[in-house]
Amino acid sequence: MITAELQFHRPGSVAEALELLARHGDDAKILGGGMSLVPTMTLGLARPEIVISLNHITELRVIAEDAAAGTLRIGGTARHNDVIASPLVARHAPLLADAARHIGDMQVRNRGTIGGSVAHADPAADYLPALVALDASVVVRSTRGERVIPAAEFFIDVMATALAPDELIAEIRVPSQGTARGAYRRLTRVEGSFAIVNAAALVRPAGSGASVVAIGGVAGAPVAVDASTAVSAGLTGSALAAFEDAVRAACPEPFEDLNGDAVYRREMAVIHARRALLAAAGRAAAGVTV
Amino acid sequence: MQTTIKLTVNGRARTVEVDSRMILADMLRDQLRLTGTHIGCGTGNCGACTVMLDGRTVKSCCVLAADADGADVLTVEGLYTSPDDLHPIQQAFIANQGLQCGYCTPGMILSAKQLLDANPDPTEDEIRHGISGNLCRCTGYHFIVESIQDAARVLRGEASAPSASITGLPASPATDVAG
Ligand SMILES: Cc1cc2nc3c(=O)[nH]c(=O)nc-3n(C[C@H](O)[C@H](O)[C@H](O)COP(=O)(O)OP(=O)(O)OC[C@H]3O[C@@H](n4cnc5c(N)ncnc54)[C@H](O)[C@@H]3O)c2cc1C
Ligand code: FES
Ligand code: FES
Repeated sequence: MITAELQFHRPGSVAEALELLARHGDDAKILGGGMSLVPTMTLGLARPEIVISLNHITELRVIAEDAAAGTLRIGGTARHNDVIASPLVARHAPLLADAARHIGDMQVRNRGTIGGSVAHADPAADYLPALVALDASVVVRSTRGERVIPAAEFFIDVMATALAPDELIAEIRVPSQGTARGAYRRLTRVEGSFAIVNAAALVRPAGSGASVVAIGGVAGAPVAVDASTAVSAGLTGSALAAFEDAVRAACPEPFEDLNGDAVYRREMAVIHARRALLAAAGRAAAGVTV
Repeated sequence: MQTTIKLTVNGRARTVEVDSRMILADMLRDQLRLTGTHIGCGTGNCGACTVMLDGRTVKSCCVLAADADGADVLTVEGLYTSPDDLHPIQQAFIANQGLQCGYCTPGMILSAKQLLDANPDPTEDEIRHGISGNLCRCTGYHFIVESIQDAARVLRGEASAPSASITGLPASPATDVAG
């Protein structure tokens, strides 16, 4: 039971939500799918005085393409299952749908939102490494205006982001994958739980940018490791070993908990980064269209 | 803070005054007396509180009742009209012993419905993934999976519904409460 008194608002437009945020700032919490916020309120760990629901703002749930800019625009309250089912996501950023398919369970995917997952910034959340690998941006808005923040800068530490108290996540903007191919891998013990480590790889064809693997679950924010050299060397022998060493070096002090100590997590990060990279490269080589 | 919401529950329009702190599961149970929706953990982990919101399963302990304004909610009580006219999924759970204590059952049945609505002929693997958000402490899941396979055959028209009814159900569940 939620015991702390709260004032509840369900604005019908972004402008109205921004006004409320500007007025109530620190005392207010945005409500997306509620999958993380409502249980923390029930447990008394979060006690917002004001809750502003985004669930009645239709425009915030839209998934659209901006063909001229070559970007995919995912509204902040798009549910995980909206992302998984969207033909536009399948065309422009299938890596994101790959990651979203692993989130929790059916009920969580039906209700949880991409904006909520990004704002919550659990270091093992499935979207995070995919967004970093895809070079996506988080579009935040307040009455002060709009900021477009690269994912790699948005995620700062465990559940700490660049979001200001009067801002909301209006959109996730993803450059179209184009000819790049992605793959997502995660380690988990029980279906429905968060990953222990996860890795999203994006392999770009020669001459069209860097290939990268972003790794989650090892540090406060996703860790990106360049894989371009390994990819151009054909992902064999010493080139692959050098990539694995780079992953090890990028995870100097992984989390330790009941799921594994630092050494185990680091090696799992290496294995899942390698698997994701090989899978993405395999798709690229096979000319797979997604 | 009290707030008034209008929503549809099991096909019936409702206007309910709720405390802004109230979760949807408590509103269904305590205010509408639809106690088929159970609360196990209250924190999004067990799935006992699963209901359909606008045609999709959600955990109603993670939804604020005040946020369900305008929603279309289906609970396990909305699946049948009388004890002799249970939904094929409900009949299959009884016929296949897909339940023991029954605590997880309403949520399991709605997750089964969500799965079969989208995928009328799921593999065993797809069924197990489809109900992964619903924990059962009793059955070991095997008979639940068989119940869903059985219900799927009936819903596809390949088998006739097993005759199964239960005692103690209110005759007209969707309309038994004033308000
Ligand atoms: C049982 C269970 C299993 C899960 N498993 C996984 C998993 O395997 N992988 C995974 O990645 N996630 C998992 N999750 C988390 C899930 O993805 C949540 O949906 C997500 O973390 C939060 O999204 P939400 O929309 O529910 O946000 P909420 O719970 O509503 O909000 C979370 C936080 O974000 C803020 N917020 C929400 N929306 C916005 C916005 N648009 N702008 C600014 N701030 C906002 C809120 O104020 C709050 O601080 C799981 C959750 C549960 C309950
Ligand atoms: S009571 Fe809602 S998930 Fe357990
Ligand atoms: S039958 Fe007892 S919890 Fe499932």
